[in-house]
Amino acid sequence: MSYTAIGERGYAAKITRNRIYELLREGRRIDGREPLEYRRITVKTGVVEKADGSAIVSLGSTKILTGVKVEVGSPYPDRPNEGVFTVNAELLPLASKSFEAGPPDERAVELSRVVDRCLRESHAIDLESLAIVKGEKVYMIYIDCYVLDYDGNYFDTSVLSAVAALMSGSLPKYRVADGKVEKVEGERIPIPLKTIPVSVTIGLIKDMLLVDPIPIEENVVDTSIIAGYTSDSVVAALQKNTPGFMPVDLLKKALEIGKLKSQELRGKLLESLGHALEKQ
Amino acid sequence: MIYFKEAELVVPGQLLSDNGRRSGPGTYTMNGKVYAAQAGIAKAVEGVVRVIPVSGRYRPERGDKVLGIVSDIKPNVVEVDLGGDIKAVLRMSERESPPLKLTLGDVIQAEVKSAGLRGIFLDLEGLQKVKAGILVNVNPAKVPRLIGRKGSMIQMLKRETGCDFWVGRNGLVVVSGRSPASEFAAIAAINLIEREAHKQGLTERVTQLIKTLLEGG
Amino acid sequence: MVRLIDENGLRIDGRRPDQLRPIKMEAGVLEKSDGSAYIEVGGTRIYAAVFGPREVHPKHLELPDRAVLNCRYHMASFSVDERKPLGMTRREIELSKVLREALETVVFLEEFPRMMIDVFVEVVQADGGTRTAGITAASLALADAGIPMADMVAATAVGKVDGVIVLDINEAEDKYGQADMPVAMAPRLGSIVLLQLNGMMTTEEIEKGLDMAGNAIKHIQQLQIEALRRRYHIEAGGEEV
Repeated sequence: MSYTAIGERGYAAKITRNRIYELLREGRRIDGREPLEYRRITVKTGVVEKADGSAIVSLGSTKILTGVKVEVGSPYPDRPNEGVFTVNAELLPLASKSFEAGPPDERAVELSRVVDRCLRESHAIDLESLAIVKGEKVYMIYIDCYVLDYDGNYFDTSVLSAVAALMSGSLPKYRVADGKVEKVEGERIPIPLKTIPVSVTIGLIKDMLLVDPIPIEENVVDTSIIAGYTSDSVVAALQKNTPGFMPVDLLKKALEIGKLKSQELRGKLLESLGHALEKQ
Repeated sequence: MIYFKEAELVVPGQLLSDNGRRSGPGTYTMNGKVYAAQAGIAKAVEGVVRVIPVSGRYRPERGDKVLGIVSDIKPNVVEVDLGGDIKAVLRMSERESPPLKLTLGDVIQAEVKSAGLRGIFLDLEGLQKVKAGILVNVNPAKVPRLIGRKGSMIQMLKRETGCDFWVGRNGLVVVSGRSPASEFAAIAAINLIEREAHKQGLTERVTQLIKTLLEGG
Repeated sequence: MVRLIDENGLRIDGRRPDQLRPIKMEAGVLEKSDGSAYIEVGGTRIYAAVFGPREVHPKHLELPDRAVLNCRYHMASFSVDERKPLGMTRREIELSKVLREALETVVFLEEFPRMMIDVFVEVVQADGGTRTAGITAASLALADAGIPMADMVAATAVGKVDGVIVLDINEAEDKYGQADMPVAMAPRLGSIVLLQLNGMMTTEEIEKGLDMAGNAIKHIQQLQIEALRRRYHIEAGGEEV
């Protein structure tokens, strides 16, 4: 069963739209949650042994699989002493009838870039410690997120999934012998992380704010904002992603809410991750 | 000879009977025998074997009561989204005007007048607008269970939650109650019915769930 | 040269020649599709989902007398040892076609003129036998979606390693063995719906391999049925609709 309004913005069921407003005024959501309540987070790690790190994170029914693959390559000329990472996200057509097979569309590209921004601008991955031979050989980390089941809020779920895959993953160990880089079989080191970035998606409906929207809410919000926070609660990435006015005072309020929610979310992630790693 | 047990899940390809002349929906015949074409519960009614599927999209039939959302309005034609990627139309002749004033996004209840390769047409007679409530989508294969035998399940839901229900054969359902708590209890009950449609003792579990939700605040 | 069969006639993972790897199946694992399934065969892990029957997009592809069946077989970048580049490879395009043709054979497409049914197969980890595990999962997802079919297709691969015909070949056997023959059948109809061969086998060996595959496929179909029963909580004496 799912909450529905069918269709696109143009004809989303009016009764659903109305009921979302009415309930919000009473401090409730259409799925029974409170405005600032996240759905349940579950984390499963080590789901793909061929990856150097992997996790499936669910936020309610939204389910995202991230795999990390590590290779050795050359650094960028302008950053010779740093490792490299790239993020890619795909909206698999098996996840939702609104996703289509084929090359990534603008939504998928936006998702890739927002996840990348949350990781990169927060300096989450310690790139300097990813150099094996400075200026020559560095670790290259590929982070690929696949949306398997889509029930809203793929931004926050992807960031959680990427972080869980990185934290549960590891790097093969290399040593330099006679000027050559060789793999040390059987030895692995953790992926060096300096902070745990978490994003919070906040929707605005009239003058009311809500977090972690489901698709029918995504359809009726006036606008929404995604904010990425570091472990120190510094904002490292922002993305306004729905057309519509975001009043300045409400944005300020949203960022305060985001700060608290990011702390809560990070706590839940670490707790679930702890359990998942025990099982792995 | 019948080869299936009562209340057993049959699967596509399963032999059901060797009387190939008596086959109903959800089955196919080959070499004079009847096989299941869909996963479901097989039944022999007056010697005709059929499979009641446990899942699947809505297939409109004349006389079905459905819910839909007005998705487009053109001269003499109102297009209605029935969910499941199918659209139906309400068609009026030049002189006719719609019995209700309809606008984009209205939720309506109507009867299927005809369904075929030329499209799905809804009856203007008996057309109703659903004014308020929470709209949910259930698997159309579970709608008969939600209604229950002679409406027993839906009557029980009305009684226990005090909510009004509009149930479309196509799987769209609107719940409207006096308080959010009663609506959420009703939706939780619908969810349970959908999930455990074929499990024993469902009615008791649903009643218990509603009681717990409403009394537990 | 890698030795694939030891002196006791056992394979590198300790299996007998006619033994399947452990198989796990579950139906209805993804909520937003009409039907779905997850399968593990050894280290191979696959999700499959079905959407439809739904209206055809783009419209000009619709057929007046039956449904269009689309199938996409796709592998996650991290599913293989060397990271797979993004996008569809030629291999994935070919496998999408043979999977579609296998499924088209059993689905009653004529019941849904001008509609389409989409089948998506996502390989999360590849450890040999992904097309056969993929088709087994796809068929389970089709049944879960309530799509009418003549039979539930199930599949496995037989192969030839060190001169021995073996069942359900794993990745190493595929890589270093002499032949790999994926087979999908509609077991109750006694018919093959997908067959490929990479490598050399005599006709006698092919016959032996098909018999071996046929027996295993009946067993795999049983696992599909059990997965459906678990999904729908069907118990003897359940309530009537």
